[in-house]
Amino acid sequence: MTKGVLGNDPFQRGAAPRTGEVKDDAADPKAAKKSAKGTKSAGKAKSAKGGASKSGAQAKAPKGGKDAEAKQAAATPKTPAAKVHKFEARTNGHGSAKQEQDAREAEHAQASHASAAKDSREASHAKHTQDSHASAAKDSREAEHSKHSHASSAKHGRTPAKDSREAEHPKHAQDSHASTAKDSRDVAHSKHAQDSHASAAKDSREAEHAKHSHASAAKDSRDAENSKHASDSHASGAKHGRTPAKDSHARGGTPAAKPGAHDAAHASGQHPSDEEHSPLREPPTPGPSPERRPSRPQMLADEVHGSRPQERTVDRALTEAIASDAAEAAAKTAVDELFEGRRGPDRDIERVLATELVAELAESAVRQVLDDGNGSLPEREVATAVATQVAEATAGVAVDEVLDRHATGPEERALSTAEDRDARDLDAGDEEPEEVWTADAWQRDPKDVPPPENTEEVWTADAWSRDPDGMAAPDGPEEEDDFVSGVERVEENGVHISVSIIEGAAPTDVEPEVELPDESHDELPPSRRPLSLVSDPGEEPLPEAPERGEPAFNHREEPAPAAGFAGRAAGMFSLAKEIAGQALASEGLGRAVGAMHGLMEAVRTSLGTGGGSRLDDYGKDAGLVENLQPVLDFLYEQYWRVSVEGVDQVPRGAAILVANHSGALPYDGLVMAQALVRERPDLLEARWLVEDQVFHAPMLGTLFNRLGAVRASPENALRLLDERRPLVVFPEGYQGASKPFAERYRLKRFGRGGFVKLALRTGAPIVPVAIVGAEETSPLLGRLPGGFLGFPSLPLTAPGPLPAKWTIRFGEPLTMEGLAPEAADDLGEVQRLTELTRESIQSMLQALLRERRSVFAG
Amino acid sequence: MRIAVTGANGDYGKLLLPRLEADPDVESILVLDTKEPQGTSKVEFHRVDLTRYDAEGELTDALTERPVDALFHLAFLFGPILNGPLAHELEVIGTMNVLTAVGRARLPRLVVPSLTVTYGARGNNPALLREGSPLFGCPHSRFVNDKVEVEGQVRAFRDRHPDTRTLVLRFAPLLGRSLDNPVTRLLSHSVVPTLLGFDPLWQAIHEEDAGRALHLALRAEAAGEFNIVGRGVLPLSGLIRQAGARPLPLPGPLFRGALRALGVVGAGTLPVALLDYMHYSWVADGERAESALGFVPLHHVRDAASALRRSQS
Repeated sequence: MTKGVLGNDPFQRGAAPRTGEVKDDAADPKAAKKSAKGTKSAGKAKSAKGGASKSGAQAKAPKGGKDAEAKQAAATPKTPAAKVHKFEARTNGHGSAKQEQDAREAEHAQASHASAAKDSREASHAKHTQDSHASAAKDSREAEHSKHSHASSAKHGRTPAKDSREAEHPKHAQDSHASTAKDSRDVAHSKHAQDSHASAAKDSREAEHAKHSHASAAKDSRDAENSKHASDSHASGAKHGRTPAKDSHARGGTPAAKPGAHDAAHASGQHPSDEEHSPLREPPTPGPSPERRPSRPQMLADEVHGSRPQERTVDRALTEAIASDAAEAAAKTAVDELFEGRRGPDRDIERVLATELVAELAESAVRQVLDDGNGSLPEREVATAVATQVAEATAGVAVDEVLDRHATGPEERALSTAEDRDARDLDAGDEEPEEVWTADAWQRDPKDVPPPENTEEVWTADAWSRDPDGMAAPDGPEEEDDFVSGVERVEENGVHISVSIIEGAAPTDVEPEVELPDESHDELPPSRRPLSLVSDPGEEPLPEAPERGEPAFNHREEPAPAAGFAGRAAGMFSLAKEIAGQALASEGLGRAVGAMHGLMEAVRTSLGTGGGSRLDDYGKDAGLVENLQPVLDFLYEQYWRVSVEGVDQVPRGAAILVANHSGALPYDGLVMAQALVRERPDLLEARWLVEDQVFHAPMLGTLFNRLGAVRASPENALRLLDERRPLVVFPEGYQGASKPFAERYRLKRFGRGGFVKLALRTGAPIVPVAIVGAEETSPLLGRLPGGFLGFPSLPLTAPGPLPAKWTIRFGEPLTMEGLAPEAADDLGEVQRLTELTRESIQSMLQALLRERRSVFAG
Repeated sequence: MRIAVTGANGDYGKLLLPRLEADPDVESILVLDTKEPQGTSKVEFHRVDLTRYDAEGELTDALTERPVDALFHLAFLFGPILNGPLAHELEVIGTMNVLTAVGRARLPRLVVPSLTVTYGARGNNPALLREGSPLFGCPHSRFVNDKVEVEGQVRAFRDRHPDTRTLVLRFAPLLGRSLDNPVTRLLSHSVVPTLLGFDPLWQAIHEEDAGRALHLALRAEAAGEFNIVGRGVLPLSGLIRQAGARPLPLPGPLFRGALRALGVVGAGTLPVALLDYMHYSWVADGERAESALGFVPLHHVRDAASALRRSQS
């Protein structure tokens, strides 16, 4: 796990810069937020029920959503009537669990932005890759389960699919576009998947899950007031991990939440005609994908780079996913087409229902096709084609069914069917080339081969030409950005073709059809994906693999309720581990932990149980000081912001630094020692002398001693000076530290001039030092009788050190040159020197106080 | 070289005798004690009871009969014993007898061990106590005060008999598997009570180092007091941990009261005086022993303490 954590961390960190490159400033904060939010949302994932109920509430809020639900509920029992209905019923039963989950996710998405949710999944995914071995058994079970469900659905769906194919309506050009767009997106997916050998089994699972989520998305979209929204959101979901999709579900359920519908809307760039959508297109859709991409590569870069057998599984899964995407898109387009122009109270619901039906059918058909294959490239083509065709074919039937159910007039049905056919006619022309291109892209992408020009043209035409109006206005600038970056990347890799093609393609209006609206929605994503993909096959794919992983992670628990609890528990556990690991890995927290450790040790030391073993003769514990260094650093640099002036004046060798004592708790010695260590590393380690009252105070004295304080006595002082150390003394002594706050910075009597005698005897210079800030750090507010502890009095002060700003000013040294050691016995001389030092310090104090504007700001 | 030893069966004697046995320059060892040490070949045993009134005459006879080159007066207790008067007789009166006899016999060398605890654990001790520091002893401990008195006698003897090279070795608490003194007893508990809020610096010396120091005193050219301490210092809690025990800080008054009560009942294994040494540091400076006596401790305090742990297990 540690490894995983470490592997993840860089990715998290790296995300920001990369995002910036791809997506601009907007992405950056998001990226930063990611980790935190992601973890949060992931953590929330636990409460499935809570989420579900909430989403239900959401859906209810506005009337549209409620109606939809009610209708759906009513519809379900009726289903057995028709084959299609039966199929749907199954889906419903199947989907309820999924729905619940989706709701949950939607909630998450709302709570934390889409990207956040995504990231949480990413995180979990990463974790899973590492932990996969742990939950292998469970996973396999789940996979099985999902397969079963697919199988059954395939069986169910087959007949209807065939039926619909027999009907054999011409295809809509639009539909094929949609599918193509998705395919192109899926190229990226496929690459990722192939690369992610590490999690082959998992990926396949994920892919299935992805499908599930799509299906469920379709189901959820029933709640949505606008079917278009829903379908769009599917597309986006397919494209960018599931989060946006889920988001859109939630939003769809809440018609009022128009602003919130950004995610759905962005996906719905296809509907330029739709006023709702145009403003929304600009938003996140593009955002999440670029954002995510950068973050991925690092994560998976190590694990990924495929191995063959696993790739096959992945391929299979991918193919299914792609096919389902295509199916959905096609279904949506077809249904939309059918409903075009018909506006009624129930239209939206019907639309959604129909879309869902169609998608389901198509998917099952695809599964059937793939059942014995493993998703090789040709199979993918076939699958996609099948999906699209089935979807289109079924669209009419589905719509009919839906309309039937809602007791709509027969004439309407007829109309819709007719329209459907029309749409298919339009589609037919386009489909073939699209398909071809997709296949090409697939084959080539892994190998980094630029697709042939003509196919590209076709694709580009689809993607771009459709949407001149839709894209132009709101998305213009952003699109440009992407474009540029894409182009650049492409050129780096030497793949110029795609660039030129795209540029050329934009103007080429190959098909300015009736279906304009739909395409715009799909276009945005495809235009981006292919660009980045083609250009950066190595790097880009990776980011997406996790995408699929995430959804899978979330979905995994749902499809297999039996293994659900274990899976969830394992997931949560690994997630928690990951969070903890990342937190620990983060520098700040590491420092905090270190500081806590140091503090704990300090407490133990002061209690008398520390038991350090690296003490010097004076009692300083090097180990304790090391452990406390984070705390000292914090106090020195950030809390007290100690500024030091004139430290160069301190001579080398023995020197007596005479400072004013201040504050109820004598932090000043410690800070002085720290300042000297930091500013003058050339000097020997300084020690400070502490008066007996403090030195022998229980706990405090012990702690100070371990931190380097030495009891003030002539022997100790001489000894320290003999060692040629700087020696910090506070001649005011205890009364200096115990003067009331009102008398702060007014020097007391300087003892009996012991330090002067010391200086005279040893010849060590006296350096006056003024310390400002210590008084405010622990102001003496009062005294308590402390005799029972051996104190003259106990200081009553702030509970902790206050964040006053410290300034330490070193004055000019007083040398003892020309003074004989015998002068130490001359009281007059001693007195004179003492006064000299005292005045020097007092004047420096005054100056510092005058310069100081604020106690805390400095 | 002929050596006389008193208290050869004590802890010091057990440390020194094997070294003297192994020393090729030592021809014979005159043991002046109440019982003969076992397993020695060079020993001439002369039974002397230092606590008897006639001990001084016996000693003088023994020492003048066959002159010796040095006398190791090792007949000391390492810790207080329940029979306080006996301890006083042995340490103070016995030392008086020995010093008189040595003076009469005009021995060239006298070695007397002492302990650094005689400096006393006081708040205003300097960080490192030199040999010249006054011996404050411990006001509560008869044992320590007896030692201080012995030191006074020896110092007086040295002043009166400058011809006799007198060495006083002040040992830090001795730690070793074969030793039994208040500190080893203290450290032998699995939980050692300490004073809450205080963690004085302690020194200790490994038994091997102590034996070596005694042996070195046989030939040293210097005279006077020497602090014989191990390398480094440890806080009391560190010492306890190194010895494999856990410190249990207790509030002072509680601890003191408990110790007193135990002492009164007679069940106490720890002297109340130990509390002082748990309160304040008394760290002696071994620099003089190194420069004048040539004694360099080989063992760190840590090692001494952990040796104790090994011996316990």
